[in-house]
Amino acid sequence: MQQLNPSEISEVIKKRIENLDVTSQAQNEGTVVSVSDGIVRIHGLADAMYGEMIEFEGGVYGLAMNLERDSVGAVVLGEYKGLAEGQTAKCTGRILEVPVGEALLGRVVDTLGNPIDGKGPIETNLTAPVERVAPGVIARQSVDQPVETGYKAVDSMVPVGRGQRELIIGDRQTGKTAMAIDAIINQKGSGIKCIYVAIGQKQSSIANVVRKLEEHGAMDHTIIVAAGASDPAAMLFLAPYSGCAMGEYFLDRGEDALIVFDDLTKQAWAYRQISLLLKRPPGREAYPGDVFYLHSRLLERACRVNPTYVERMTNGAVTGKTGSLTALPIIETQGGDVSAFVPTNVISITDGQIFLETNLFNSGIRPAMNAGISVSRVGGAAQTKIIKKLGGGIRLALAQYRELAAFAQFASDLDEATREQLEHGRAVTELMKQKQYAPMSTAEMGLVIYAATEGFLKDVEVNKIQAFEAALLSYANSEYAELMAKINVKGDYNDEIAAGLKECIEKFKGTQTW
Amino acid sequence: MAELTTLARPYAKAVFAEASEKGALDAWSADLALLAACVADADMAKVLVHPSLTAQQQAQALTDVCGDKLNEAAKNLVAVLAENKRLMLVPEIAALYEELKAQLQNTVDVVVTSAFELSNEQADKLAQALKAKLQCDVRLTSEIDETLIGGAIIRAGDLVIDGSVTGKLSKLAEAMKS
Repeated sequence: MQQLNPSEISEVIKKRIENLDVTSQAQNEGTVVSVSDGIVRIHGLADAMYGEMIEFEGGVYGLAMNLERDSVGAVVLGEYKGLAEGQTAKCTGRILEVPVGEALLGRVVDTLGNPIDGKGPIETNLTAPVERVAPGVIARQSVDQPVETGYKAVDSMVPVGRGQRELIIGDRQTGKTAMAIDAIINQKGSGIKCIYVAIGQKQSSIANVVRKLEEHGAMDHTIIVAAGASDPAAMLFLAPYSGCAMGEYFLDRGEDALIVFDDLTKQAWAYRQISLLLKRPPGREAYPGDVFYLHSRLLERACRVNPTYVERMTNGAVTGKTGSLTALPIIETQGGDVSAFVPTNVISITDGQIFLETNLFNSGIRPAMNAGISVSRVGGAAQTKIIKKLGGGIRLALAQYRELAAFAQFASDLDEATREQLEHGRAVTELMKQKQYAPMSTAEMGLVIYAATEGFLKDVEVNKIQAFEAALLSYANSEYAELMAKINVKGDYNDEIAAGLKECIEKFKGTQTW
Repeated sequence: MAELTTLARPYAKAVFAEASEKGALDAWSADLALLAACVADADMAKVLVHPSLTAQQQAQALTDVCGDKLNEAAKNLVAVLAENKRLMLVPEIAALYEELKAQLQNTVDVVVTSAFELSNEQADKLAQALKAKLQCDVRLTSEIDETLIGGAIIRAGDLVIDGSVTGKLSKLAEAMKS
């Protein structure tokens, strides 16, 4: 245990006593009628507001969620073992707030913003309400800057822009979390602050994520909001909103942030539990009627805002900068069923989705993205020029390959053109494979995709493609560092760069070292 | 509890409407108080929920116990309640009725819990201050609770003003803990 500093402690106590407000205030009080499964019914509390914090005896807080004629239904935030029938409950007149600010970066906090990483208290005085209405149409600006995930397959075919909501959807064990974590790791040095909201996950998985992020030096720009599987349902239900409030701090100050909700299915389950216990009528799949609104009001808060909005929010301290909050919600499907209630809802809310499939994953295609049905509805405008120019061919090649591959199963002898297309498709599929924790820079992606679209892979055996790629990249990074740096800075594509890439690949192939 | 209030509300409203129409607010108050006291009795409660008795028998039992103190209208109320199997609601109905009556007369019941007995002067002063704050006539009842150490807690319905020393100490304790 740390050495206690007596003078320091006295200081703190003195300050607290000074700041203590002991004037008696009129308060609304009620009586606890029943406590069951984290739901408390309170008689009285006539002045309670929806979403207001309710204070119970022993410093436990609750959230008013059902306002009825003679009673208030509230969910307890935290431990409810000490609560008993007949105890008093008080209105606080406040709504739930969480600490926000730069001080949270690098920390692991719970839904209420309390640190749970054992690194001491969080040094911030700023708080923000967890629920906030999303910026309106006037405050918004269109998405035109990229968020680079570092995945060739994603950045070339389903690009994500700053302020976009891109859903990652797939069955269990298809690499959803891995993709989101890699996207966070790749933001190192890009200035994008990241928030990872873990909802209903095993504590061991959360610890794993934290360790991996620390290993890759990505914790410095990341906040982790953790509501584990053993936390009360109310915490799981609120975690995305409090994570969002922490992200909005950056949005409001003209900065860029990325938030990952892992995953919203579990949040919907937690909300379903609360709703059923509050005796709200169940609807489809026993979810309450407002489960669409549950996710739409959350995801709508991820957006890009214009400089006027930022200026207003910072009282003129920050001018001429846009802010953005990019959301990567994750949904887990059961047996690939995307027509279940929650998946369809979230698909319709987001600006595109990345489908990850079990059979692709098992056949070794990782990331297991199904390029045919994965889309990005707004990211195209945000792609870097070079990837946009070169990446168009990839999607097409894969689409043609899928069509032909199915057809070619029955035909034994194929004409030259068809065989070539099949070969190319196979090569591109192989090329799109990428290891975990190995994000690529724009230049590396550009180079590899250029090699594929310009036919440099024709004389490379399919099983050698990954070795070829690795060797090519290390060659380019050492011999053509200048060209690579130039592409990384501006992301432009012109004849000069094309010539440079061509020269690089040709020289590399001359070495025959793969 | 909460549900009982909801169930009792229409009865209380009906009784109140009837009472104000006939100008018999106080008479009804007395009747309801009497009925509530009877229903609250353990032996009586057994009779009132006994499954083998008919509604009429239960109503009869209750009116018999009250003797000739009930007027005709109150007897009818008992009959209606028995028919709907709501005899156990009488205490809630009485409470709600009193609330409605207080609202009409613009008065509010205030309970002052203090550590020491209030002097008449203090009580008057308190009543005046509360009258100004709540903007209605105040009916003060005082209680003594020595555990408060000093000061007083004022309760008017849901509204609670905690000015006790214990309350302040617990606030201090909480500030230290957080």
